[in-house]
Amino acid sequence: MSRRRRVSPVVWLLLPWALVYGAFFVFPFLFSFVLGFLHYNPLNVANTTFVGAGNVTRLFGDAAFHSALRNTLFFVIGTVPVTTTLALALAWLLHAPLPMKDAFKAAMFLPSILSVVVIALLFKLFYAPGGALNETLRALGLQTHGWLTDPATALPAIMAMDIWAAVGYYALVLYAAFTSIPESLYEAATLEGAGHWATFRHVTLPMLKPALGFVLVINTIRSFQVFVEVLVMTQGGPLGSTNTLVMMLYDTAFRRLDYGYSSVIAYAVFILSGVFSVFALRRMRSQTPVQQRGMPA
Amino acid sequence: MMRRSHMRAVGVVAGLCLLAAFSCGKKSGSRSTSVHLWQFWDIAVVAPIIAEFEKQNPGLHVEVEQLTWATGLEKIQAALASGTQPDVCELGSTWLPRFSYEGVLEDLTAVYEAERDSFLMWDSALYKDRVYGLPWVQGSRVLFINRELFKKAGLDPDRPPQTWDELLQASQKIGALGNGVYGFGQNIGEKYVLYKKFMAFAWGNGGDVFDERGNVVVNSPAMLEALEFYLKLAPFSLQEKQEVLDQYFKTGKLGMQISGAWNVKNYALEAPNLDYSCALVPKPAADRGEHVSFAGAEMLVVFKGSQQKEAAVKLARFLQAYPQAKAVSLAAGSVFPAAREAMNDPAFTRDPRIKVFVEQSLTSRTPPAHPGWNEMEEAIDHAVEEAMYGRRAPRWCLDDAAKEITTIAARFNQK
Amino acid sequence: MMRYLRWIVLLVAIVLMAYPLGWMIAVSLRTSDGLNLRYYADVWNSGPFDRYFINSLAVAAVVVLGNIVFCTMAGYAFARYRIRGGKLLFFLVLSTIMLPKQVILVPLYIEMQRLGLIDSYWALTLPFLVDPFNIFLIRQYLLGIPTDCEEAARIDGAGELFILFRVVFPMLTPVLAVVAIHTTLTNWNSFLFPFILTNSTSMRTLPVGLALLAQGAYSIDWGHLMAGAVLSALPVVVAFLIFQRRIIGGLTTGMTR
Repeated sequence: MSRRRRVSPVVWLLLPWALVYGAFFVFPFLFSFVLGFLHYNPLNVANTTFVGAGNVTRLFGDAAFHSALRNTLFFVIGTVPVTTTLALALAWLLHAPLPMKDAFKAAMFLPSILSVVVIALLFKLFYAPGGALNETLRALGLQTHGWLTDPATALPAIMAMDIWAAVGYYALVLYAAFTSIPESLYEAATLEGAGHWATFRHVTLPMLKPALGFVLVINTIRSFQVFVEVLVMTQGGPLGSTNTLVMMLYDTAFRRLDYGYSSVIAYAVFILSGVFSVFALRRMRSQTPVQQRGMPA
Repeated sequence: MMRRSHMRAVGVVAGLCLLAAFSCGKKSGSRSTSVHLWQFWDIAVVAPIIAEFEKQNPGLHVEVEQLTWATGLEKIQAALASGTQPDVCELGSTWLPRFSYEGVLEDLTAVYEAERDSFLMWDSALYKDRVYGLPWVQGSRVLFINRELFKKAGLDPDRPPQTWDELLQASQKIGALGNGVYGFGQNIGEKYVLYKKFMAFAWGNGGDVFDERGNVVVNSPAMLEALEFYLKLAPFSLQEKQEVLDQYFKTGKLGMQISGAWNVKNYALEAPNLDYSCALVPKPAADRGEHVSFAGAEMLVVFKGSQQKEAAVKLARFLQAYPQAKAVSLAAGSVFPAAREAMNDPAFTRDPRIKVFVEQSLTSRTPPAHPGWNEMEEAIDHAVEEAMYGRRAPRWCLDDAAKEITTIAARFNQK
Repeated sequence: MMRYLRWIVLLVAIVLMAYPLGWMIAVSLRTSDGLNLRYYADVWNSGPFDRYFINSLAVAAVVVLGNIVFCTMAGYAFARYRIRGGKLLFFLVLSTIMLPKQVILVPLYIEMQRLGLIDSYWALTLPFLVDPFNIFLIRQYLLGIPTDCEEAARIDGAGELFILFRVVFPMLTPVLAVVAIHTTLTNWNSFLFPFILTNSTSMRTLPVGLALLAQGAYSIDWGHLMAGAVLSALPVVVAFLIFQRRIIGGLTTGMTR
């Protein structure tokens, strides 16, 4: 095989991304990073002062930040595993000859078509007294409840909504991965007398690892950034029970005009997401030999 | 090694090229001959007014832009940060003091001195003895009562509650009707609303956040009294978000609530058969206190960096003037001119319900004109909510709010 | 047996998914004078919605196309090539998603303003042409596909360009369908950035138009709000119905052996 001395394909493959990134994100990221060390107010840019690590140390003593951190972690831990498991289950259910499969796929996908704002508004009404949920409970003779006005149930209510909205979408992603598992592997497993569960564990799951990794990471990153739903439904209330990190960051920047502090909160989210992503990706690294026969670049 | 740095180089070079482009930054649009106006009302509403202004001022061209209530503030901030702010802008009365404090607004004291007596709601524009905004339109909150429920509970709908006791009794009686009917509506669980309803009672009782000398008195006896009364209403109240309260009122399941003129418009569209009327916010007792309510005022400001200062002030005064403010108010249907003329204009006094709003404006207040107000209102919201959830005794809730507000105020004392 | 059980469980799941939407459509049709499309007509006539539609459509088309091409290129690079510093680079790619975008709102605005791109189609498209989400998705998907086809082609003497677009691309159909749908969605429903980066009515996209509507004439009118939401969702439903056949297509393509 002749190897001419030429520019590696990697360069031109990554060029479009590099251009967009370099042109539109380098400056804003640098800017926002520097902001973390400043006391910056857009109304009064001339009065910007350098506070060094002041914003960061402020985080440690800020009860509101700790509360937001707790709520966000609760949100992530409470939704990601559930969504992923349900999505996996749905994808597996779909992956079989079934009548009306297209209809199922379409229906499953419908929640993701709506913008988050619309879903949040829908559920705001859904959870309200006189709304669908409470009316159903009443019909069944059960106690109704102020789901969004009770500090104990507000966050779980938003989490349930989030799971509803996300499951169908991730199920489709996993389904796409399902369809790419070679039939031959299944045939081999059947030949060896493997049952449903064993097949699932030893054929399906390993082949799905990259896709699962994707779902886990993306879902986690997104969950750490939960914001629009909270903004529409509760604005962080009642009594701060639904205050999340991004909700707090948004408030700090645009309502309190403290862009510097807002920036460090953003980077806290960034670090949290980063740590988790690296962790998840490592765990989900595919170990099958069909793997990355990397071409030297 | 070659490839990675090759690629990084490309990305970095691209970024640097653009950074270099910053120094020869273009300004968007032909700003030199136009006056830029940013406001929150539908363009269709504002367009005829702008056309009239241009007619009266040949040579001046106005560029209007509509902002959303939800994200307009972000846009204004982004514009200020990049030096592309408009010449004239509409700002809410709760935001104006902060902008004044930061020194980004043009001094309009001369206009104030000329127009002072023709308009209400100047308070939020006053900062350190200068005036930085012109009151444009405003909306007070009044008591809505469901006449049918009143009749059912044996109350006279033509004699709405005038005092706190009457309000409490009415809530009790209507609440006793059962069947999913509530007497009064209290906001809970969302921002920017609760304090408006509570402060109406507090102000009516002579309480306030600051006294004349600027001391924090949010935990004064008068305030505590108001909070305790507010809590007394709780057993007969539906405690929910504004939309739910509006929904319940619309479907005849809520006896009374304090709300704004947007509902008059909405109920006309969605519940035309709803039999309701409006009344002034009840005062503490027949012999003391006042019928005070909360008002939100929309103010017009001119930004300091404006290249068209004279034209901008002209435009602002034109918009503020009664005929124009009236046009906006009638089209929007949820606000009223800040001009005193509106008080006697049949257009606003013909409908008995609307008349109440107009009357209420005379004794309505905007929140204290403090640059840190947006954080302070949260402290008050929090205190009232905590008391409503029974987490702590009202007294400690207000004490905490006082501490919080003092801390916030201290941050702004450097200027 | 198993088949029926699957079917029933799916049915339950689907009902749960679809119910709120059915309700939404019901609300939008239930006007004060019976079931009709009056709210839809109101929403459509309340502003230059045809212009908003076209804007949203044009922008979405460009962004989706860009993503399909450029993200495949990048995803392929990360999946198939051992790049020195590749892990770091990939992390850089992902980092764009990990930072809450609210924090770059004002800086991006400042930059776009300096570049003179505010209030133009460029502002609505350029920054969104290469979504790291898609790069990630494609890379993961490729990691799960054996390299046999590509190696076979390489041995036959095919150039890299050919391999990418003639061999790999067709194999990616299922995931590209997801990319197309996802990008269409994110872009179509995107509100904050289009709102901040544009000023004039003629540049507005659908969500911006709808938001301004929602605060104006029909603020807490559920009927109109839902009609607007359905109108907004309709094109994406259509897009989904078109693209989802590709997923079925992926099923029958099969793998070489």
